[in-house]
Formats: sequence, structure tokens, C-alpha cells
Amino acid sequence: MAGDLLTARAVRKEFGGLVACSDVDFTVPQGGIVSLIGPNGAGKTTFFNMLTGVYTPTSGEVTFDGHEVVGLPPHAVTQLGVGRTFQNIRLFPTMTGLENVLVGMHARLKGGIFRSILRTPGLRREEREAADRARELLRYCGLPREAEHTYAMNLSYGDQRRLEVARALGTEPKLLLLDEPTAGMNPQESAEFTSFVGRMRDERGLSILMIEHDMKVVMGISERVTVLDHGEKIAEGTPGEIQKDERVIEAYLGSAATADNGDGGLLE
Amino acid sequence: MTAESGTARRPMLAALPRFSQQINRVLTWVVVGLFVVWVVGNFINAPKQFVSVFLLGVTLGSIYALVALGYTLVYGIIELINFAHGDVFMWGSMIAVTVSAHWLGLDGSQGWYVTAPLIFVTLLACIAFCGTLNVAIERLAYRPLRNAPKLAPLITAIGMSFILQNAGALVYGFIEQPVPDIFPTKPLFRIGGIAYTQKSLLIVLITIPVLLALVYLVRSTRQGKAMRAVAQDMDASRMMGIDVDRTIAFTFALGGALAGAAGLLFVMYQTSTRYDLGFQLGLFAFTAAVLGGIGNLTGAAFGALLIGLIQAFNEGLSWHTPGSSWTQSVIFSILILVLVFRPQGLLGEAVSDRA
Amino acid sequence: MSGRTGALGDAWARLPKRVRALALPVTVLLLVVLYPNYYQDVFNALGGGVTGQLAPTVPTMVVMCVYVIMALGLNVVVGYAGLLDLGYVAFYAAGAYIAGWFATLQFAPHKVHFLSVGVLPVLPGLHVNVWLLLIVGAVFATILGIIIGLPTLRLRGDYLAIVTLGFGEIIPQAVNNGDDWFGHNVTNGPNGLTPIDSLGFGVTIHKTFSFLPSSYRLEINSADYYYWTGVALVLFTLFCCIRLRDSRLGRAWVAIREDEIAAAAMGVPLMRTKTWAYAIGAFFGGAAGCFYAIFKSSTFPQDFSLNISIAVLCMVILGGMGNVWGVCLGGAVLAYLNYQGLEAVGNNLNHYAGTNLNIPQYTFGIFGIIIVAMMLIRPQGLIPTARRKIELEAGVEGGSLYDAAA
Repeated sequence: MAGDLLTARAVRKEFGGLVACSDVDFTVPQGGIVSLIGPNGAGKTTFFNMLTGVYTPTSGEVTFDGHEVVGLPPHAVTQLGVGRTFQNIRLFPTMTGLENVLVGMHARLKGGIFRSILRTPGLRREEREAADRARELLRYCGLPREAEHTYAMNLSYGDQRRLEVARALGTEPKLLLLDEPTAGMNPQESAEFTSFVGRMRDERGLSILMIEHDMKVVMGISERVTVLDHGEKIAEGTPGEIQKDERVIEAYLGSAATADNGDGGLLE
Repeated sequence: MTAESGTARRPMLAALPRFSQQINRVLTWVVVGLFVVWVVGNFINAPKQFVSVFLLGVTLGSIYALVALGYTLVYGIIELINFAHGDVFMWGSMIAVTVSAHWLGLDGSQGWYVTAPLIFVTLLACIAFCGTLNVAIERLAYRPLRNAPKLAPLITAIGMSFILQNAGALVYGFIEQPVPDIFPTKPLFRIGGIAYTQKSLLIVLITIPVLLALVYLVRSTRQGKAMRAVAQDMDASRMMGIDVDRTIAFTFALGGALAGAAGLLFVMYQTSTRYDLGFQLGLFAFTAAVLGGIGNLTGAAFGALLIGLIQAFNEGLSWHTPGSSWTQSVIFSILILVLVFRPQGLLGEAVSDRA
Repeated sequence: MSGRTGALGDAWARLPKRVRALALPVTVLLLVVLYPNYYQDVFNALGGGVTGQLAPTVPTMVVMCVYVIMALGLNVVVGYAGLLDLGYVAFYAAGAYIAGWFATLQFAPHKVHFLSVGVLPVLPGLHVNVWLLLIVGAVFATILGIIIGLPTLRLRGDYLAIVTLGFGEIIPQAVNNGDDWFGHNVTNGPNGLTPIDSLGFGVTIHKTFSFLPSSYRLEINSADYYYWTGVALVLFTLFCCIRLRDSRLGRAWVAIREDEIAAAAMGVPLMRTKTWAYAIGAFFGGAAGCFYAIFKSSTFPQDFSLNISIAVLCMVILGGMGNVWGVCLGGAVLAYLNYQGLEAVGNNLNHYAGTNLNIPQYTFGIFGIIIVAMMLIRPQGLIPTARRKIELEAGVEGGSLYDAAA
């Protein structure tokens, strides 16, 4: 399939005897926005971790941009162009906003050990340009100016979420993985974030894959939605198709009503 | 898993994790195989000597087992390598000298009906002292750091070890502390001219019931269940009404008590002790705990037996043995190899059940 | 800093900012460099005799330099990258034995001189230029660090600590038994290697610049020359440490220390970055060991006990993990106590209070107390970095990637 940036074929992960992810096929088209939904414990984050090299799948293969991903360590996957955020924010708490983004740029910078000690003109230029770009990213993601010099742990919750995105953008990704990016945001912030995701895709030519619980966000922006339950893919299609799918409604039954009833969404 | 890749377009790298798992397995078997060859070779080379050295190793292993269990208990519950444990053991041996020889005046000349009860009193004193000491260390040095970064209590434990060691020197001096032969030394039998004495047997005979009691305690009693619960998940245990602090203190008391008993047996066997023997013996015992699979009680006992045997073989046999000047290197090499290639130990399964 | 009177204060304020910023470091540096010139005054000011012993002698100052270099090196590993290394002494040994092998009579039947300075040309054995050896020793230690690091650095923190401790115990024993490695006398065993060639600039340079001695050891005030060389090495180490801290690599170390998984997800190669930390730490450890061996003109296996590793760790903790100035202070103070201070204090006590203590025997007990007290009361050290302070107080901790992936 020519237009696909990421392809996962029959990906499977077992922990001991437990099957966390069972032979899932999955694609993200170039420039697309795809959502991954499913009840808690459905294996979404496990799947994410396999795409980013944190876990090695028990079997199956993952191709990104023409490269085999399975078996690569996480940093190598990031170097290929997969940036990610974390469900439970994992910033570097005692680094400033700027430093966090600069760590994100690590793979894109070259400053080696000897040039760092000598601080050559070339290195100084590189560092200066990187800092400029990092500042730009902070502003792009809507962080206040003072976030640049504030320790990540002292930023507000919303700003921490935004900084995670800025840091992931610092890795210059082709594909951005967002793990529950609007968790803990109020409806207005979620709406803003939704439009921001669309803008990122359009302005930066990214493809986006997100795990999301807020159905308003999912249905509002995704071009395609994949539903996981108990480690299996139970449905895939446009948001409209998913909302009507019998198995999806069944999977969520007991925890909430249907997708139509607004902000709580399927899960809440 | 050497992850050295500038660009990630290398298929070699993709195969590496699975590949290195295979290598690990093969290497483990090769090392175990070589070990077996070495042991069998030595047996064929000098069978009589081998048997007597083997029995010596069992005695040594029994003492290591008691110390190793203390490491494994503490590691199992709060994931701390308690470096000070070996020095608690050293204090146990010192207390044993003080109580048995200096206070009770035992010197081996009394009959068994006098010696046995008085040794029992000494044992109780050692257990009480070391148990209390270990609990005090936990309370003062480790508990305040329970939520600190993981390396903080580890560094503190090293500091505690040095403090205990020097305190030992302060009280008992920098020289050997001798004790007369209190345990009966009559030879039970002779193999190849080397006697197997009653005291060697006694040490093994005392160790076995202690180990069984400990296993029963942890597996089957209420307190043992609380310990295992805390080891699995401290917060969840707290919510279920388990007094976590008390359970951890109890674990330290138990570990200290075992170290106290080991101290007594050690000094009765060797008939001398020193302020600085705890650190290294402690590390040997820790190696034993790692070898058996840290956190695993049976594993610790098994590992200790193995380490005792390896040390005895290395020092007592002659066919391709490095000799006693290399004992430390041999045992630490085992420690490094196990941690690098098989961190779950010989008996352990995958460690992932405790994250 | 500024003058008390108004006029002086004004004059001070009018100075350019750059000059004012440099005033303190330059003053400190001058005081340090000129120490041999006013040591006697300090000695006298303390009243000479027994109390005068409290003033660090110039040889003690050399040892302090050595330990400051080691502490700065270990600080890269422990303070920057958050990897606990309990076998740091192994690198120190590596550097020392490079000096021992290539600048003594050990391999006496052979006779190789390579740019050697201050050595009689007829002397048998290997004699390589000692300045070169400082570099070779450091590089050799670096290689050793990489060899030890590659298999072990993927282990989680406490396992890494114990594995490095294992190496730290194996290497001295191997050296101690090195008088018979398969029948070869490689390290001369417990008798050590001595005498090691002295630092110096050789006769040719000495003839042109008479203030550069041909061989330090031939000078009356030889310790002064070693001291100034030591200070130069400390400055070099400091310079490298500061530059590295503020570099791309330095950021990656902090990131790994705070959250390995996130760091890896941001494209930081864990193994390579950790290995760099280890290698750089080893480099300075090796240089310090080499320099110290040349200074004492000998090296023995007993010099490389676990105690040294712990002492250096203690210096890093006392000063403040990650803060180069704190680590310098910690290294200088503890090295002073270890080599002279405690003995001097003990002598003073015995002399004036009539006690009969042998305090130096308990040096490591005292270090133990310092470690425990610091961890409990002030884990961020005497001069903390703002970052570390928050980390230790708020209990930041990132799990190991390989735990999660196991």
C-alpha cells in the first residue's frame, strides 16, 4: 500500500500466557489522522509501545516509512520519525521547558563530545539555532513565554500537556503518536486541542495517531477510527461507521451509553 | 543489546534482541556445563579429597545461607541491597564471643549438658541483638528515605556498613577476636586423612530447621502473608489494612535474627572473628542470593550452598583451580555474570511479576 | 566583595560587569596557585608545632588535587547521568599501572626509551614520556570503562552498582596476584611497581626556559611543581566538566537520570549516552591515578581498595551531586581529612586534651557517618544544583526502560 506511512501486520504481544495484543493489522495513511479507541485494558498502550520500540512484539511486523521497526530500540524508532507523548505525562521534571524541547531535538543535533568541550563556532551556531527553533515550538504549541525558563514540574497541567507535544515535535516526526492527549482537560481546552491537532497536520505535514477517550475529540477530527477490545481489533472505519457498529457498542456497554451523547463519551 | 545506531536501516539490529536471548541461553548452558565438567574432573582426580572438601563446602554454605536469606528477605520486600547486613552478621559473631566466652565462661571444657543450654542462651542473645540492630538501622537510616530516589537508601546502606564496621573496631579493636573451641571437635569419620568433625555436622543440623521454620513463616503464617503482600504492592497493602511499617520492621528483625544466628555458628566454626569480615562475607552471601534468584527463599539457600561449595572447591581442590588467592575474584565474577546474563537467577523465573 | 568605603564601592561599581564577575574566581585561583609560597605563613599563623599540622602541606595539596579530579570524574557518572558506580577505583588503578608499566624498571631486560624526560638514557626498562603517559593512562582507563560499561550499563541502577563493585574488587585482586599470571610477572604483585619516572621537561627545554625543571624530583621544592601540575589538571577537568554539562550530551544525561523511558522516546540512545558518561568518568579517573602514581613514584595493589571508591563517592555526595564547585569542595575537604586533617586533629586532641586516640584508623567510619548524615539531612549536598535539590526533595524517579520491556 503506497500511501501508508505506518503498517502493522498481525502484531501480537504476549506477557507470559496473557495475550495483550492479538494479531492486529493496522495502518496509518500518509497525512492522515487516525484514532485508536477501546475500553481500559484493551491493549492500546501496549500497541503504542510496540510501534515505538519499547516492547518487541511476540510476532508480526511493523513497517514505518519503508523501514522495519520491530527490534529497533526506542531511540532508533524516534530517529526514523516517530514522535510520541505519554498518557501519564513524562516530562523531565527539573528541566526547563526549553531544555525539554532541546532533549527532544537530541537526535537531530550533531554536537559531539569534543566539539562540545571546544565549543567550536559551528557548535555554537547549532545550539543557537536549536534554541530558536525550540522557542518557536513552545510558542507554536501555545505555551506562555515564561515556560521557557520554568521547570516542567512547575508548569500548569495544561501547559505540561502542551510541552509534551512541543517536545515530541522537537524530534521532527513524520508520525506523531498522542497517548490520551486531552485527558484531564476541560471541554473548552479539549476543543482547542482538537483544532490544534488538525492545524499541526496541515501546517507541518504530519500524520497523527492518537489514543483518545474523549469521543468528541475522536469523532470530531479522526478520518479513521480503530477499536481494540481485549487485545483484538473489533472494528475499523470512519467515525460515522464506528458509532453505528454493533460490536463497538457492545464492547462499551455497561460502562456508558452510545457515542452520540456528547462529552462524557463512551467511557466516562 | 548494544543500541548503537546512527541511522536505523540495519536489519542486523532488528534481529538483535531475539538473537541475544539465544546467546544468553547458550552461554548459560555453556557455563553450567563447564562447571559440571570442572566438578566431575576434580572428583575423578582426587575422589577422597573431593568428598571431604564437599562436606566442608556444605558447612560453609549453611552459614552463607543464613546470611543470604537476610539479604533476600530485605530485597524482596523493599528492593534494597542492604550492604550493612554483612556487618550486622559480624556484630552477631562478636556478641557470640562476648556472651559465650567472656560472660558465660564457656571454653569447651564443660560437659554437653552445660554447654548446650548456655550456647542456646548465647544464640538468643545474638538473635535479639542483631534483630534489634537491624530494626534500628531500618528505622533510622532507611525508613526516612523510602520515597527518595532509589539510589539514596543504597548509598546510605553503604555508609551504614562503614559505620557498623568501625563501631566494631572501636569496641573490639582491630585485631582478631579469638574464641576457644566450644562446639565438640571430635572427628566423626576421616576421608583421605581429613577429619569430618562433630561441629561441622552440628552447624548443618542447626541450619536446616531454621531454614524450614523460615519458609513456613513466610509461606503460611499471617505475618508471612503480610510480608508477601507488601513485597507485591506497598500501597495496595496499606489500603487493605496491613501495617506496612511494621511488616518491613518485622522483615528486618527476621533478617537480623538470621544474621545473629549465622554469626554465632560462624565464630564457633572458625573460632575467631574480625571487625572487617562482614563486608566481604556479606557480599559472598549476597552473590548467593542473586545466584538463586533474589527474593526467592529456596533460591537463596540453594545459591548459598553452591557458593559455599565453589569456595571450598576453589580453595581445597587442585585440578584446574585458581586457588584461594582468587576466591574473591571467582565469586564476584559469578555475581557479575549472573547479573548480566541471568538477572533472575538460576531458580528464578522472569522477574516481571514485580515491576 | 565590594569595598566598605563609599569611594571604593563606587569605583568597584564603575568597573565593567565582566571584570566584576571575574574578580572572585581570579582571586580564588591566585590564592590556590600561590599556596606553596605562603604555606609557611599559614603554618606559623596557626601557631606552628602541633596546631600547625592543621595547615595542609604541599604534598597533601597534591593529593587533594588528585582526589578532586577523581571526584569530578565520578560526578559525571553519578551526578550527571545518575549511574551509581562503586568500582571507580578500577579506573584509578588502570591509570596508575600504565605509569607503572611504561615508566619503571619492571620490564628491565628490555630497554625502550620514547621521548623520555628526566631519565638517564642508560636506564633499562620501558621509559615513555610521562606527559604522554598521563594521556595514555586516561585513554586506557576509558577503554576499560567502555569494556566494563557495554555489558553492564543496561542493568538497572542497583544491579549496576553491585556489578561495578564486583569489578572494583576483582581488579585489585587480579593486580595483587599479577606477579604470576600464567607464569609471567606482570604487575610485580603486592610489592608494587617503583620507582616511577618523575614528571619534567627534559634537559633541552630546561636549558632554554630555566624555570621549567628538567625533572621535578631533582628540584628542592619538587612538591610545588607537582602541585602546580595538579592544579592545571584540575582546571582542565573542571573546564571539560562544565562544557559537557552545558552541552547536548549533558542534557541527555539529565534526561536519562530523570526518566529513561521518556529520554529514549525522545531519541536519546540510552546505551551510547550512558557509556559516554562512564567513559568520561573513567578518563579522569585514569588521569588522576596516573598522576598520583607518578607523584608517589610507586603503585601498589593496596592503593585500590573499595574504600577509595567509597571515599570518592562520599566526596561527590558531600559536595552536592552534579555541582562541580560542590564536588571540588567535597573532594578537597575529604582528601585533606583523609591524608592529614584527621591525623592532625587527633594529634591536637591527644596533645592538648591528653586523650589517646588514633583517629585516622576510624577515617572510614567517619566517612560512613558523613554519607548517612548527608543522605538523611541534606541529600542535595553542601552546594546543590537547583535541579538536584528539587529532584531529591520531591522524589523524582524514572523507571528503567529495560524493566518495562523485560
